[in-house]
Amino acid sequence: MAITTLNNRSINRSDTASADQVWTATSATASDFQAGGVNTPAFRAFMNANQELVNSTSTLIDQFGTEDFDTNSDFASNRFTPTESGKYFVYAQLAFTNTVLADVSEFALTMIYKNGSELVRNHADPKDSAQLNQAACYIATVVEMNGSSDYLEVYAHAISGTGSSNAPLVGNGTNQSFFGAYKIIE
Amino acid sequence: MSNLSTKIKLYAKENGVNSVDFLSDVKLQDDGSGAYIKEWNLDIAKPTDEQLNSYEDEANAEEALNTVYSDRRSEYPNENDCIHALLDGGDTLTELQAKRQATKLKFPKP
Repeated sequence: MAITTLNNRSINRSDTASADQVWTATSATASDFQAGGVNTPAFRAFMNANQELVNSTSTLIDQFGTEDFDTNSDFASNRFTPTESGKYFVYAQLAFTNTVLADVSEFALTMIYKNGSELVRNHADPKDSAQLNQAACYIATVVEMNGSSDYLEVYAHAISGTGSSNAPLVGNGTNQSFFGAYKIIE
Repeated sequence: MSNLSTKIKLYAKENGVNSVDFLSDVKLQDDGSGAYIKEWNLDIAKPTDEQLNSYEDEANAEEALNTVYSDRRSEYPNENDCIHALLDGGDTLTELQAKRQATKLKFPKP
């Protein structure tokens, strides 16, 4: 990002120092360096309760009940609907864990959906259908948002090894399962 | 109530499809109001709700049985214990078999 002002002296992109001239910021403070642009809107939320999944079903994660921050109040009801258009860096992590005794998943998938359709995914799939005791799937991408109707959500998909009614589970906690995004400076 | 995926597997099997991949053949989704079929890519006809509901009892029975297998597996001796018992034989093997039997009795089949 270009520095546009130094000690209250405007600097144009075409400005160059003359021969033997050195520009020195003798009393510059952070405010003198107007980098321009902020990474907002931005939010981060995490699951404050476990969520049991439906076996072999892509399930909306609806337990993002605690917000670490939400600069523009754009995150509500587990959905991020930014009110400014532009490109956003969006990220999520889900911690899959066993639920009842040994009935754990053989396959765990984290997905970010845009406007109800899958945007990007990451998965854990151990060799030869071995079972996952725990797996954290992190996912991130950059996506264009229109600043009005576009929205982002997180879905999970897990396949139970045994096919019993004991469904896999996504564990809660700020360091376990979270969802966030911020506008990138263009 | 049984899982939608279990009922679909039973329906598919009865119509000649022995394996269903729920990441490609049939995509199920739950947006917070219950699971539904979002995409059906099998060559057999997509079942109606009525057809799927007819498998409810069978699906419940299958899931109950699978839960028993799951519960048993959690308490069975692990693979290393089994190998050692087979190699050692004698009392070690007898004790291991007793543990397996006790687990079966703890989690009986429905």
